[in-house]
Amino acid sequence: MRYKILTGLAAGFVATAGLAAPAQAISPSTADLYLLHAVPDLTVDVWVNGEVLIEDFAPETLTDPLDLAAGDYEVVITAPDDPISSPAIGPVTLTLAANTSYTAVAHLAADGTPTATMFTNDLATTAAGTGRLTVRHTAAAPAVDVLANGEAAFTNLENPNEVKADLPAGTISAAVAATGTTEPVIGPADVNVQEGVNTIVYAWGSLEDGNLALAVQTIDGLHAAPGGVNSGTAGLVADPDPALIGIGIAGLMALLAVGTMVTLRVRAKNEG
Amino acid sequence: MFSQIGVWGMTVLLLAGCSWTQEQPSPSATPSQHSSLGADSEIGTHSAALGAVPAPTPPTRVQIPSLEVDVTVRPVGVEADGFMEIPPDVAVGGWYKYGSDPASDTGTTVIAAHVDSPKYGIGPFAALKDASVGAVVSVTSAEGVVHEYVIESVERIEKARLPLDEVFDREGAPRLALITCGGQFDYGTGHYEDNIVVIAIPTTP
Repeated sequence: MRYKILTGLAAGFVATAGLAAPAQAISPSTADLYLLHAVPDLTVDVWVNGEVLIEDFAPETLTDPLDLAAGDYEVVITAPDDPISSPAIGPVTLTLAANTSYTAVAHLAADGTPTATMFTNDLATTAAGTGRLTVRHTAAAPAVDVLANGEAAFTNLENPNEVKADLPAGTISAAVAATGTTEPVIGPADVNVQEGVNTIVYAWGSLEDGNLALAVQTIDGLHAAPGGVNSGTAGLVADPDPALIGIGIAGLMALLAVGTMVTLRVRAKNEG
Repeated sequence: MFSQIGVWGMTVLLLAGCSWTQEQPSPSATPSQHSSLGADSEIGTHSAALGAVPAPTPPTRVQIPSLEVDVTVRPVGVEADGFMEIPPDVAVGGWYKYGSDPASDTGTTVIAAHVDSPKYGIGPFAALKDASVGAVVSVTSAEGVVHEYVIESVERIEKARLPLDEVFDREGAPRLALITCGGQFDYGTGHYEDNIVVIAIPTTP
């Protein structure tokens, strides 16, 4: 595949550093935009604001986040080397708000026509020990239930909607079934809900064509630290309480004072 | 007395008499690190196929020869109350499995152990408060690789003031944090009032 960036885009595309950058803080003036290709069997060119951004973009491919100034962007998707005047999808206008993460997905509508949908990625902090699971229906298929470990976790999810939940970190067996049924049309497949990560699973492809599949996108850096470290329960090696030390010192001084007085009295007696 | 080395990045801990005071930690949100792309740069892409997530490399043993500390380590998560899970056996350290590991490019590997317990008595990490700056710490990973660190600071910090985002940092320079409890014991809560925190830095990049 070939990718190139043209200088004509006023925004100036900037790639984020990736794993090391906390995802929550994007920037007060820019947005993160990921592009996901989820149309089966269709390699495309992606045009943004009249310029080719990505050439020969293959299905089941996800870009790194593009750091774009907030604003409107016109996106057109064409067959490779086709002119922008012959769109396969679009033109669509993507309105990006600052400090927000988006994924624009080229996919099939429920009726099988190619379309594009922009989702907003939830980058809210996750509690220590948990991760976020987001499921997006981008397949040419009717409403579905999402099964986790064999049971319906989300019901009646329609193209192009999403559902999400924060779950204890770990691996779940995920499957997709027609709403009201438990016979998987996709999966079951192991999905790792990583701690502090928004794991976004896409149901994509076409039921009719028999190529339904799951794609996955992860956005990390949402983690929070645990509430603290309680690492001792007996008090065997505790420092003494200063209040008790204080009482001890006061007591000692009182004793000394009494002792001194006694001594003085004894002396007085002896001398008297 | 404990040495006072500024290792908490933006956070400064001050020892004033017998009480510990601390400046407010800086906001934890760090700006994204962006690198400008020139006109010839490419947009990074990768497969969105569902695949296995790379597994971390858990540490399995911590040794501090100068303190005769030698404990086994196992992965731990969080308790129901959101606190870090600690192995009940005082002779076993817990590695915070959601954070960095010794093979990570960034962040702090956090290993904590109970200083004592009614069942097991006093644990090896009780010696941490006597650790010396410059002492060597060895951490063995599950792959058998020995990671060597040198102690940079030994601090006693009131629990309420422990800069958790700094201790459990996943983005900064690689470090090791060994944590246990210390200070006075609150018989009402059954907990110590302070944490003993030993920070060590890798001796090899």
